[in-house]
Amino acid sequence: MIRVKAYDIEQLARLIGALPPTPEGWVSAAQELPRMRAGLDDLIAKAKTDAELRARLVADLESALAESGISPTPRILAEVRSRLAD
Amino acid sequence: MQGSTPLTDQDLVARCRDGDAEAWNLLVERFSRYVYAICIQGFRFGPEDAEDVFQDVFARVYEQLDRLRDDGAIRPWIAQLTRRLCIDRIRSTREAPVEEVEPEAFDDRLAELDEALAVREMMAVLSESCQEVLDRFFARDESYKTIGDALDLPAGTIASRISRCLEKLKAVMEDSDAGARPVDG
Repeated sequence: MIRVKAYDIEQLARLIGALPPTPEGWVSAAQELPRMRAGLDDLIAKAKTDAELRARLVADLESALAESGISPTPRILAEVRSRLAD
Repeated sequence: MQGSTPLTDQDLVARCRDGDAEAWNLLVERFSRYVYAICIQGFRFGPEDAEDVFQDVFARVYEQLDRLRDDGAIRPWIAQLTRRLCIDRIRSTREAPVEEVEPEAFDDRLAELDEALAVREMMAVLSESCQEVLDRFFARDESYKTIGDALDLPAGTIASRISRCLEKLKAVMEDSDAGARPVDG
């Protein structure tokens, strides 16, 4: 547990300035995680039963993800490759 | 327009667990500056490393939220997760013991960021215009003219608004449990 002490005006000003805004786009990308995660789960499930889709994913994963509305970040690419290999 | 009383961390986490998309958006907003500040101030990361760690932190928070045993402890949990991922990031480029890669006085810096986050949470009860003018001036480092142009206010009135809003914030903090309130976590 931390405690908020009684502050003077200068301390308050300094503490407000201690948390600068994140660069544009970072917050919205993190907020998109649940939707992206659901899309990814759906895509992997389909690929398990659809050989053609699976082949397309293996051949060009980045394009296939982008077509499904999922931004192909390195982390996502690694995860999909790992899950497709299962 | 007066700001509203924010959801507690416990309520926010519980709603996220229930799949409430709006709660997840709020959680990311509530802790985004904190995670970012740990990366750039605590570990002095550049934009590229900071962004990778930032996204990784929230991905893990989303995936591992069910493992959090005390919903009120989300802040220290996120702090430790961020710290660990920053250290992993450094150690991925050079092998070194943890104590050698963690910056000096990191704990002091983290304690200050904890206080800053608590102050920011208290700002939520101020009017939206007060929150905006304080954030623009102190956190975004904008000039009186830029703030005046953005908020359609005469630049000459910005200094007095900042002063009034700071006094209101001070009063809010003094009102809350006589200037000292416990913060979750």
